[in-house]
Amino acid sequence: MIPVLGLVAGLAVGLFLDPSVPVWLQPYLPIAVIAAMDAVFGAIRAILDGIFNDKVFVVSFLSNVVVAAFIVFLGDQLGVGSQLSTGVVVVLGVRIFSNVASIRRHLFRA
Amino acid sequence: MTPEQRPGKARRGDPGRRPDASMTLLTTMMERPLDAGYQEAADRRAAAGLPRATSTRTVLVVVLALLTGFLFAVASQALRPKPTAAAAVKKELVTRIEALQQHGTQQEAKVASLGKQVRDYEALALQQSGGPDLTATIKALEVQAGAVSLRGPGLTLTLDDAASADTDANAGNRPSSGFEEGRVTSGDLQIIVNGLWGAGAEAISINGHRLSSTAAIRFAGQAIIVDFRPLARPYVITALGDAQGMQQLFEPSFAGLYLSQLTEEFKIRSVLATSDSLTVPGDSAAHLEVAEPIGSPVGSSAPSSPAVTGLQKGTGSPSSPSPTGTGLIPDGTSRPAPPTSEENPS
Repeated sequence: MIPVLGLVAGLAVGLFLDPSVPVWLQPYLPIAVIAAMDAVFGAIRAILDGIFNDKVFVVSFLSNVVVAAFIVFLGDQLGVGSQLSTGVVVVLGVRIFSNVASIRRHLFRA
Repeated sequence: MTPEQRPGKARRGDPGRRPDASMTLLTTMMERPLDAGYQEAADRRAAAGLPRATSTRTVLVVVLALLTGFLFAVASQALRPKPTAAAAVKKELVTRIEALQQHGTQQEAKVASLGKQVRDYEALALQQSGGPDLTATIKALEVQAGAVSLRGPGLTLTLDDAASADTDANAGNRPSSGFEEGRVTSGDLQIIVNGLWGAGAEAISINGHRLSSTAAIRFAGQAIIVDFRPLARPYVITALGDAQGMQQLFEPSFAGLYLSQLTEEFKIRSVLATSDSLTVPGDSAAHLEVAEPIGSPVGSSAPSSPAVTGLQKGTGSPSSPSPTGTGLIPDGTSRPAPPTSEENPS
């Protein structure tokens, strides 16, 4: 419950402050969001599986975001940024889907 | 996808090798979407005698949840598509055009009210001059010149571009310079309006612009211009006259056939409707160009003589119809003033 409140508070702060994102950072935002969603759904599944670990969550979150951003950066430098972004989105998207499916099985037994 | 489900699948070489070993990336992605770290950490904690899961209420988790929410909010704000420069310019142009059009409408209303005032003063001056009463003659000539608004039965013909024509071009799209066959052109309007004149229309307006004897239907670019005023689709042609008779004459005429061809071949939409009470405004651009003194007393003269060419415009085309017959009355007057009344009320 408290983490959910934290999430909502973070959303409110972000919407209220509306900080301007530097242009060079903007290409990485979508990928960072997808990576963050992957980590969050993984954490929810781990909670439901009874094997949640806060350090693993934090580390996986940060590494996901950083690696995803790095892949996009690398792709941009090599001239294949959009293809690599697509790859990252596919991999993370599949993981999000399977994690959400597992969460669904936990919650609804279906 | 697990090896147990497909035991007999080709096992070349190493017997312990999974048959789908070449697809480890896909397999791990599909089968183990959860970070392996969670399981390992849980196993370590179980081995150390601790509960397998940690609390979700640690500072780390809350801080990270805050960060995640912040990230989501910032990303959604930063990545929302912003209005393009072209759209902004278009919006500004639209507001300017609308403001100027409103201004023009106001000025036209002012012209109309001032014109009415002028006519009132003229009538007053005529009365006070002691001469013969010319009011009826002037009224008849004004009707002929298209200077006053008229009311009466008639037809409305609504023309619109074909539905397929790209009428709502996006901002920044350059208009195609080529001829689009789904569009109503000025030539179409000319033919149809001439057909209506020929069918006996006595006064015609397009989108509220009166066609006087000097009004022209032209085009500039893709816009249709009537009497130097651009029109926007749909084009509503109001023709006063004997509605039934006009329709019977118009439909088999060349213009009527042309219109049905337009509808059939190019899907140009047209609706013809009759009405008992239509209003055609006066030509606000009418002004005095020729004036001649009255030679003889008006009471005995025929209206065909150019006695008082008060508001007649320039060199009128001979096809300008004479409003007779169906009892058109100048709009705004209670007393019908049929143009055929040659005798002046004294």
